[in-house]
Amino acid sequence: MQTKKMFSRIPDVISWGIILILLVLTVYPVFYALLGSLKTNAELTLGGSILPKVPQWSNYKKAFIDANFFRYAINSVVISFFTMLISVITSSLTGYVLARHDFFGKKFMISLYGAMMFISIGSVALYPIKLFLQRFGLDNTLLALVLVLTGSQITNVFLVMGFVKGVPKELDEAAKLDGCSIFAIYYRIILPLIRPILGVIALFTFRNTWNDYITTLIMTMSNKSLTTLTVAVVQLKYSVFAAAEWHIMLAGASLAIIPVLILYIFTNKQFISGLTAGAVKG
Amino acid sequence: MNRYSKSEKAQIFAMLTPNLILFILLSVYPVLWCFRYIFFQYGGLASGEPIFIGLDNFRRLFTNDPVFFKALKNTFVYAAGKVGLVIPLSFFSAMMLNRKNVKGIGFLRATLFMPTIMSAAVMGLVFYLLFNVYNGEINKILMSLGMKLPVNWLGKDKAMLTVILIGIWGGLGNYMIYFLAGLQGIPQELYESADLDGVNSLQRTWYITLPMLGPVLKMILMLAIVIAFQDITSIMVLTEGGPVNATMTIFLYAYQFFFPISPGSIVTTQFGYGAAVSLVSSLVVGAVTVIYLILSKKLDNLE
Repeated sequence: MQTKKMFSRIPDVISWGIILILLVLTVYPVFYALLGSLKTNAELTLGGSILPKVPQWSNYKKAFIDANFFRYAINSVVISFFTMLISVITSSLTGYVLARHDFFGKKFMISLYGAMMFISIGSVALYPIKLFLQRFGLDNTLLALVLVLTGSQITNVFLVMGFVKGVPKELDEAAKLDGCSIFAIYYRIILPLIRPILGVIALFTFRNTWNDYITTLIMTMSNKSLTTLTVAVVQLKYSVFAAAEWHIMLAGASLAIIPVLILYIFTNKQFISGLTAGAVKG
Repeated sequence: MNRYSKSEKAQIFAMLTPNLILFILLSVYPVLWCFRYIFFQYGGLASGEPIFIGLDNFRRLFTNDPVFFKALKNTFVYAAGKVGLVIPLSFFSAMMLNRKNVKGIGFLRATLFMPTIMSAAVMGLVFYLLFNVYNGEINKILMSLGMKLPVNWLGKDKAMLTVILIGIWGGLGNYMIYFLAGLQGIPQELYESADLDGVNSLQRTWYITLPMLGPVLKMILMLAIVIAFQDITSIMVLTEGGPVNATMTIFLYAYQFFFPISPGSIVTTQFGYGAAVSLVSSLVVGAVTVIYLILSKKLDNLE
């Protein structure tokens, strides 16, 4: 009996061993970036211990000042914040109206939104958008960048729509009897009740915007002063000094990673439950 | 329709407008633009007016573009490699971490999920350094373990493998969470009655978990396939589709007719042809989705 029990333990040990390996592989690149950001370039390229010999805080100073990352960090914060705000506002307005009200062409609108979810021409779409903005002199503006990053919010609109449908209709009707307008019902009754899903949308939008590369890269191609940390860091790969700047690259990468990591430490439960709340694409 | 007053109608309209404008401008208009230019030869304002060439772009695409077919093959290899490995691994992780009231289980889940919140581009740069042939940490570790020659991870032969590995790194936690949600939907009583029958854990998985997970598994698989087809950010940063198109995928191929993949690369902008490539790429994804749906329905009927 004793030995049988021991044998039946073996698959367990192997299974947990695999999980352990997956965990190590998962965190390793992130630790490499964070620890590497405090090493000298020689330590990084010639090899050395896992920990930096002497923490090179000056790497961050170099990234912040010489590579102009302070500016890009502020851009990242501003752009992510406004994109998040506009996403929450526009998707909740439309989601609410679609869930609660009738209007001419509603069915058509819903099926068009649904259809566009499946038609993806990829980043190529940014070209006509850029041309269009150019015609109105709006390209290279913060506003245009934020609106393009906000995008059409199709998944979020459907997410809000589904969530509003779960709110009892009697609440709307009672408010209407009290003289609330359609907008007031949205603002006073619905918004407070759908806060959880709005939180999910805000969180995922913030992450997407902060991490976005291609859209921001293309939209700020001719106006580098608007660019974000993520784009600026990756562009270091193409600098003439790239081979001698691994420490600066990793300092920059860490600057881009750390805020999201901190956010994640506090909100990982919301992130994880939000993912399954409505197939928010990851 | 008539139950709304004029002011109410105005409010409804005003509330729909902001999102509708974004939708039309950012989703509908680009697709229409593409549809228009698939019939033209057009290289941008500098190269003169667009010339109508009918279906020539498609003729070129299907009969005279080996790079497109290479990209198509690569896309399938990438998707098959990534999905084929990430789905079993994430299912396994979900099975292992589907326990309640065990200390630290939440921490393990959160850790495995962490890559999902990372920027594919920034991590692409980090991986670029890690997988570097001579100075990269991975080769240093492998060589200290006794390997003789450094592996050229980003070279012609290994680049696709590297890109797939990184895709798995980025996707594992995501699909694990989907699987966990599915597993938690299976009624506990099923397992309890199986336990009474003296069923072992492998049988439990095969006869209860997998069949009960069926619909969720199908959904996850479809999502994984569609996403894998469209992954371009990390490939763009890591290999730029190279070397010699070894990691070129269809969406990246379409992209490079419009924008430079890296700041140094020269684009010969071909908007008409690029539009045709991107349209066909999007049709490929659509076709794969439809075939997948039909196949999975057929399998259902067999059971």
